[in-house]
Order: sequence, then structure tokens, then C-alpha cells
Amino acid sequence: MTTGHWTSRLSEYLDNELSPPERAAADAHLRTCAACRATLDELRAVTARAHALSDHAPARDLWPAIAAAIGSEMSPLAPRRQRTPRRWSFSLPQLAAAAVLLVTASGAAVWSLAGRGATAVATAPRPSARTSPTTPPLRATSFTAQRPTAEQSYDAAVADLQRVVEAGRGRLDEKTLQIVRKNLATIDTAVAQARRAVEQDPANAYLNTYLARTMRRKIDLLRQVAALTAIES
Amino acid sequence: MQTPIPGAPPLTPSPGSPQIPSDAVEIALAASGDAHAFERLYRAHVARVHSLVRRMLGDEDAEEVTQDVFVRVWQKLGTFRGESAFGTWLHRLAVNVVLARRADLGTRRRRFHDDDAPLELVSARPGSPEAVMDFEQALARLPEGARQVFVLHDVEGYRHEEIAQMLGLATGTSKSQLHRARMALRHHMDR
Ligand SMILES: [Zn+2]
Repeated sequence: MTTGHWTSRLSEYLDNELSPPERAAADAHLRTCAACRATLDELRAVTARAHALSDHAPARDLWPAIAAAIGSEMSPLAPRRQRTPRRWSFSLPQLAAAAVLLVTASGAAVWSLAGRGATAVATAPRPSARTSPTTPPLRATSFTAQRPTAEQSYDAAVADLQRVVEAGRGRLDEKTLQIVRKNLATIDTAVAQARRAVEQDPANAYLNTYLARTMRRKIDLLRQVAALTAIES
Repeated sequence: MQTPIPGAPPLTPSPGSPQIPSDAVEIALAASGDAHAFERLYRAHVARVHSLVRRMLGDEDAEEVTQDVFVRVWQKLGTFRGESAFGTWLHRLAVNVVLARRADLGTRRRRFHDDDAPLELVSARPGSPEAVMDFEQALARLPEGARQVFVLHDVEGYRHEEIAQMLGLATGTSKSQLHRARMALRHHMDR
């Protein structure tokens, strides 16, 4: 290798790490040296190949071993021993698992629940619905006059459930409330992200399903909490 | 917008959709102790983590260390604040586990040469069909120092300053190791 070649610095050239004078000198050399240009192309191909590497799952399923390893500390919130609660306390993991099962068993259940919630609201006294022209009577009509969109059902169900949860809030202990709040906030973020993504790519089946799933999860969580707050009333 | 289909089975992300929302819900549930949610996170990310670990440490230790990574993730999930993407946080944690393991393995396997000697990768049995290595195999045969810098920089996208700090090297060493790795790998482009 002659001292004039830039071979040893071509990675830095490629990564844009040379100082401006160095880069100018390298550019000048590259214009006249086919060997260095060829090497630079090869290095560029290597970095492109590195970006395109595909990932492979391990040959055996590692989950059983991981589950065993975390088993001893699993479900820190699960009731370790039965105590008589003055306030209702529950294990969120158990709730979530139940909610997932529920959705798996019958995805339509949530939407029919949403329908019941909306009906209940429609029959409740709501003076603003009649007097305010800016508020569309969304929930009052959506389940009778026409088939509701999933979004409308969702918004209605969430609003109703949130009211129930709010009313029964005093019956939940602080730790439970904290978990519920944290999870609702997280789910809200996920729903907002999913909505944005769907707006940008409305035909994307995965995104639509993800959005529906995320929405259902919020409803499930709220339902469970609402059920808990109602237990002692 | 399109009406989602209630009860539709979950679909796997199509490769062409970079807008896939984060795992926020699974993370929150897993952080609250839901092992099922954590299993879903594991399934979504295991290939990525395993590939990183395998490239950094080699086949021999990859499965065990990947397991360790996920046990650590379970333990530390409560400290994930959502400021970075979960994937970024997870990979950084994986790198930390790898580096800790690398320290455990000690110096017997460490070969950080800061010389500029060109690196030739030779097959175990020259002349045999395996002499034609694919890119991954060639990568696996790089000396540890060059390989780890290459994986962290060119595959994982870390900067030299970060790599130097993680591996305890001078930045210049990180750069020269990267260059040696690339120079060796350019002869093993498999496509
Ligand atoms: Zn030259």
C-alpha cells in the first residue's frame, strides 16, 4: 500500500467522521484512485449488509425456562394469603388475564356491553342532550337508528364506565387505584398512537386490529373495575 | 377510518408497516406482574435479542444469555419510563447483560488488538465447501474485539463514543476495530 492511499481511513470517510480538510483530501484522492473507490464501495456494501441482517429466534423455546426463573417472583400483586379486605383489593394480572379470555371467547361481548351502556345513558336524564345543538345526540341514536361505528361504541362505553368507576372510587384501595390509573394512562397512550397510525394508514389491517384490541382492553379493564366498585354497594 | 372488526384474531405485523404502535399495554400489564403479557413481549422481541446476543457472544452462550436478558427485563420493567422506545431500552439492557457476561468470561477470550494488521478470516477446513462462508459465519469468526464493535456500530447503530464507553476502549480503538471488521467482511458478501 502506498502512503498516498486512503484505505485505512475509508471507514471514517464512509461514516462522515473526517475533518473537513481531511475529507477534502480524501475526495481529491478518490477522484483519481480506482482502487480506493472500489474499497469504499465494498465497505459501503458491508454496512448495508449489516443493516439488512435478519433476526432468528433461538432454536428452542426459551420461555419455559424464563417462566420458571421468574416464577418465584411472579405476580407481586397477587394475593399471597387471604385476608379479609376492608376495601376491595384485586390482582390486576388476574383481571387482565380474565379480560383477555373474555375477548378471546367472545369479541362481540364488549360491543354488546357498549350497547347496553349507551342505552342506559340514553334513558338517564340528560338535559344537555336536548338543549345543546352543538352536542350531537350520538349515543341516544347510535344503537337504535343505525349501526354504530366501533369508535362511537367505544367512546360511549368508556364514558359510561368511567362514570361508574368514578362513583365507586372510594371502595378501591389506594394501591389498586394507582395501578388502575397507571394502566389506563398507558392504554390511552396506546390508543392514541394506534389512532394516529390508523389515520395515516387506514387500510392497514394490522393497525386496525391493534386499535380494536387496545380499545377493547381499556373497556375490559374499566368493566372489571366497575364490577369491583359495585360489589359492596 | 375503517371499522375494526371486533373479535378478529391478532395479526402479526406486516413487514412493511413501520408505524406499529409500541407495546405500551403489554409493558404496563407485565410491569404489574402479568406473566402472560410478559410472555407476549418475550415472543415479540426474542428473535431480535437472541440475534444480538449470538452475534456478540457466539452460539455457545447465546440461549443462556438471552434467557438472562429476559429475566432481567422482568425485574427491571418497573423502571422503564417510556422516555425511549421499549425496543431501545430492551436492547440497551441486553447489551449490558452481554457486557457483564463478557467480563465474567474474563480475558481468556478477549482479543482487543489495536494493530492495523489486515484480518483474514479462514474457514476451519480450507478448501472444503464450508470455505465459502456466508456473511453471518464470517462475522462469527471475527476476533471478539472487532466483532463486538462491528455489531454494536453497524448492526445495532451505536456511536463510537458509546461503544468506547461500553467496552472500555479508546474511541480511536473502536474506530480501527470497526474498520478491520469491515475490511475482513467485504470478502464475504453473500449476496
Ligand atoms: Zn487510493
